[in-house]
Amino acid sequence: MSLKNRWQEFKVGLTPRIKEWRFMLKRMRGSSLAMAGLIIILGYVAMAILAPVIAPPQSSDPFAIPLDKEIRVLQNEQPTPPTFRHIFGTTQYQFDLFYGCIWGSITAFRIGVFVVAISLLVGLLVGTASAYYGGILDETLMRFTDIIIAFPGLILAMALVLAWQQPTLEISISLSLVMISVMVSFVLIFVHPDRRLLAMNQLVLLLGLASSFFFPISISIPLNNLDKVLVAITIVGWPGYARVIRGEVLRIKNEDYVEASRASGSSDIRTIMHHILPNSIYPLLIVATLDIGSIVLSAAALSFIGIGAPEYYADWGQLISRSRFLISDPTLMVRNIHTFLIPGLFISTFVVGWNLLGDALRDVLDPMLRRR
Amino acid sequence: MSQLLELRDLKKHFPIYGGVLKRKVASVKAVDGVSLSVTKGECFGLVGESGCGKTTLGKTVLRLLKPDAGNIFFDVPRDIVSEIDALGKKDPKSRRLRRLREQYDVATYGGRDLQFLRRKMQIVYQDPTTSLDPRMLVKDIVAEPLMAQGVAKGEEAKKMVMEILGRVGMTDRALYRFPHEFSGGQRQRIAIARALVSRPEFVILDEPTSAVDVSVRAQLLNLFADLQKEFGLTYMFISHDLGIVECISHRVAIMYVGKLVEYSSTEEIFRRPLHPYSQALIASFPVPDPNQRKERAPLKGEVPSPVNPPVGCRFHPRCPMAMDICKRKEPELANAGNEHYVACFAVNQESDK
Amino acid sequence: MSQRNIAEVKDLEVRFYTYSGVVEALDGVNLAIKEGEILGLVGETGCGKSVTSLSVMMLVPPPGKIEGGKILFDKQGKKEDILTMDDNSLRGLRGKNIAMIFQEPRAYLNPVYTVEDQIAEVILVHRRMELLKKAVDTLEKKHKGKTFECGNYRRMLKNPKSLITRLIAKFGSNRTFNNEAKKEVVQVLKSVEIPDPERVAQMYPHELSGGMAQRTLIAMALSCNPTLLIADEPTTNLDVTVQAQILNLIRGLKQSFKSSILYITHDLGVVAQLCDRVAVMYAGNIIETADVFELFNSPLHPYARALLESIPRPGKPFTSIPGFVPSLVNPPKGCRFNDRCSYAMEVCRRVKPVFLKAKEEHYVACFLYGGSE
Repeated sequence: MSLKNRWQEFKVGLTPRIKEWRFMLKRMRGSSLAMAGLIIILGYVAMAILAPVIAPPQSSDPFAIPLDKEIRVLQNEQPTPPTFRHIFGTTQYQFDLFYGCIWGSITAFRIGVFVVAISLLVGLLVGTASAYYGGILDETLMRFTDIIIAFPGLILAMALVLAWQQPTLEISISLSLVMISVMVSFVLIFVHPDRRLLAMNQLVLLLGLASSFFFPISISIPLNNLDKVLVAITIVGWPGYARVIRGEVLRIKNEDYVEASRASGSSDIRTIMHHILPNSIYPLLIVATLDIGSIVLSAAALSFIGIGAPEYYADWGQLISRSRFLISDPTLMVRNIHTFLIPGLFISTFVVGWNLLGDALRDVLDPMLRRR
Repeated sequence: MSQLLELRDLKKHFPIYGGVLKRKVASVKAVDGVSLSVTKGECFGLVGESGCGKTTLGKTVLRLLKPDAGNIFFDVPRDIVSEIDALGKKDPKSRRLRRLREQYDVATYGGRDLQFLRRKMQIVYQDPTTSLDPRMLVKDIVAEPLMAQGVAKGEEAKKMVMEILGRVGMTDRALYRFPHEFSGGQRQRIAIARALVSRPEFVILDEPTSAVDVSVRAQLLNLFADLQKEFGLTYMFISHDLGIVECISHRVAIMYVGKLVEYSSTEEIFRRPLHPYSQALIASFPVPDPNQRKERAPLKGEVPSPVNPPVGCRFHPRCPMAMDICKRKEPELANAGNEHYVACFAVNQESDK
Repeated sequence: MSQRNIAEVKDLEVRFYTYSGVVEALDGVNLAIKEGEILGLVGETGCGKSVTSLSVMMLVPPPGKIEGGKILFDKQGKKEDILTMDDNSLRGLRGKNIAMIFQEPRAYLNPVYTVEDQIAEVILVHRRMELLKKAVDTLEKKHKGKTFECGNYRRMLKNPKSLITRLIAKFGSNRTFNNEAKKEVVQVLKSVEIPDPERVAQMYPHELSGGMAQRTLIAMALSCNPTLLIADEPTTNLDVTVQAQILNLIRGLKQSFKSSILYITHDLGVVAQLCDRVAVMYAGNIIETADVFELFNSPLHPYARALLESIPRPGKPFTSIPGFVPSLVNPPKGCRFNDRCSYAMEVCRRVKPVFLKAKEEHYVACFLYGGSE
């Protein structure tokens, strides 16, 4: 089929889906809270995209908040109130609040999206395999997730940051290949393996073993404390998604159209990709949207304690952390209220925006699902 | 004459796990030894009440479920079937039997053989609302068998989809719509199109008109008859509606709690039902003619659970003709004359041996 | 079977205000149920049969609203309009004068209470005084009326509303009273031919089979001797043999309980076997009402005729009614059947036919039989 035909097909196939989306948006427009959520998030997206324009970076690392060296000479410790030069004022040690807040939105998105995306992916894989194949695989994977859920996330994050002193993440590719192939073969015991998949798996295993003996490859990724915190939150975050999707897949697995798909000759993978996932993903999206807000909040809390973003980093939690010294003195607190109120407002509106969006998504998707 | 489908003593049990250690405590004997044969080109009606196993039988024949015992022969020449039968009785462990079964017995198929089988055997489900993926366009739903079996792709598949949709009475405008935009009858047509797009030989119709309005039912039934003539299809029509089965089937089989109790041509069954259950079933069916009112309920009691069916003949607790032997032995299907098979001691006049 | 009407529905209009528009569910429904008869209400899915039955009990769920017409119910000789009743009178009506049974019995039984508890609940709401009197009688026979319990019951009979009485009712011993209620439950279960009623009374709904659950629901409905029993497709989900048993039961109950029954179904076979009179419904209107023999032998309305023609008969090809049931959001003008009717005339497309008498006890809403002047 020629390329032009393919494009035509795609466009025509899109029309009914666009109709569905328009119906969904119409519903959203009805609720003003939903619109508020959408506008807030879009505002933050705009802020993040336009950050280099609104607050031009003044050093090689754009996330380093610029220090005002002139005022620093005069009064290092005391934050300054908003002036013409520093629109939101400065924090202790003269970090510019405006710059910090604007670039902090990029950090916030990075935190939220990174953690949620990876947790989602891992949770999806584990949950779907567990629910679709059932039996011992299900039992094993679910016990494994139970163990992980037992870990308190924030405390794990703290422990990880403190124990992991190296500023880099070393991944040995050879060993990872070996481990991945071992895990895949574990899964394949319970699944009806396709010969090609088995062969590929053996190949990967041999490659990994060979390379680890003869020429070990490893890559090191530089990580700052914030990234380590994110890794920790991801590790404890994915079981939640695994559980949600497992529930959905269990429900959909028994529907007639899934069986009809098998009767038509679909392989397991095809059934999962074409039927089960598209129908089960919506609740997951709602949970993910709501989670972005709460993860940003957790990361901010950790940065506030001092574990998390480094001192100079443009992160809202970090900015509030600069105001810690105000706790002892109420008058000082009132005078320098801008140092924690402004970043605090940024955090709260960000979280509220995502929550409203998640709620709106749930309200909209429910009738859409019911309409079917 | 070679039969298109032959079932030999087919069994499908569902285990029930219980207790602390989740052992198998009991099993639901949904299909417990069914043997029948379907001729090419006919419509074979399968009748029974809820829990009798007719849907399970249909799905097992299609290998959506793996049978626990028995043989399924699809389009296998007569001599090979006889050979397998003979070997089964004489020397069940012979290697030749195993090889023959691997090649010809659908019950043992796996992987690629099953994939090939899907092209020849298809199913139309009862509820068109749940049997179509609500998030797929009609075009993709109907094209799925082609894509999954690797028969056709892209433009060619689209052509085949349009052709089959036309044959079932849907226009091209249906291609780019979602199932929920259609009425029940139209959705069932889409399901039929999906089943027929890869030109199968054998279609199992699992109560295809139960979930549909009365006025649409006739349209669908006419469609089934037309398609059978046009494509040379063989149907297994599973239903609990005796009125429809009487009109559309050539032969009818009646099931009760996992076993066949009677089967014969439609005329024979409805005019001369021999098994007491068949008689009660046909008598219970409400005739739409007020001049033929029946004042007494023909059958007492409830259908027994397939987990613990009665010992001996499964119908004996409710049977007006129950004898002593019925409580001890299970009756076998026997020819009561005129290719009319009944499994009943009273009818086949077997006495206490 | 007398000619007295115990319930009359006149020009009932019900609309549903949904997201996709206003659904004109019922568009002037006319029904009359006589004393002691079984009236069948036949129609396809979506024609409004269930909405009609729910309207009689004022149980139409939102976004539905009853917007016109009258439902006259004969309560002890006096005809009252149900649509104008206040909540208290309605509550007294439901369960006692009008009872209802539904299609999926186990959905209408609370899964955490035993059968006994649920039937006793209904009995206690409506027949409390009667049971109290029975309890007093039993106690008098046993202990000559001197016990504390007997005194409590007497007080409950005399002034049931005072605070002391209510406290005593709540905290005092109610053993005899409860036993009376339990005995009544077993009696009611026996009347619907449930085998071993004492054991069944202790069961939970999920332990009951479909047929038993439906009998339980019927028992609940009949426990207070209603004048009218509304049955909304009670046998559709049951097996054929169980359906035959339940139909027999209903026929027997008509004799013993002397209730009138409004039997809703889409199965013409059931109608032919069970009902005395039949009303045929299409797209929110009653289009024909007649005695059952009359309807099956000589149907007048083209839809009724087509419906009877479409019953599958061996040897005859399947006939169906061309076209589709119209959407009630934008119903066709005039007669709602005009786009599928082979006898449609010009007037059918403009004016809605009136429900009038074509023959003795045979009403039809079709211009073929008059009304087009």
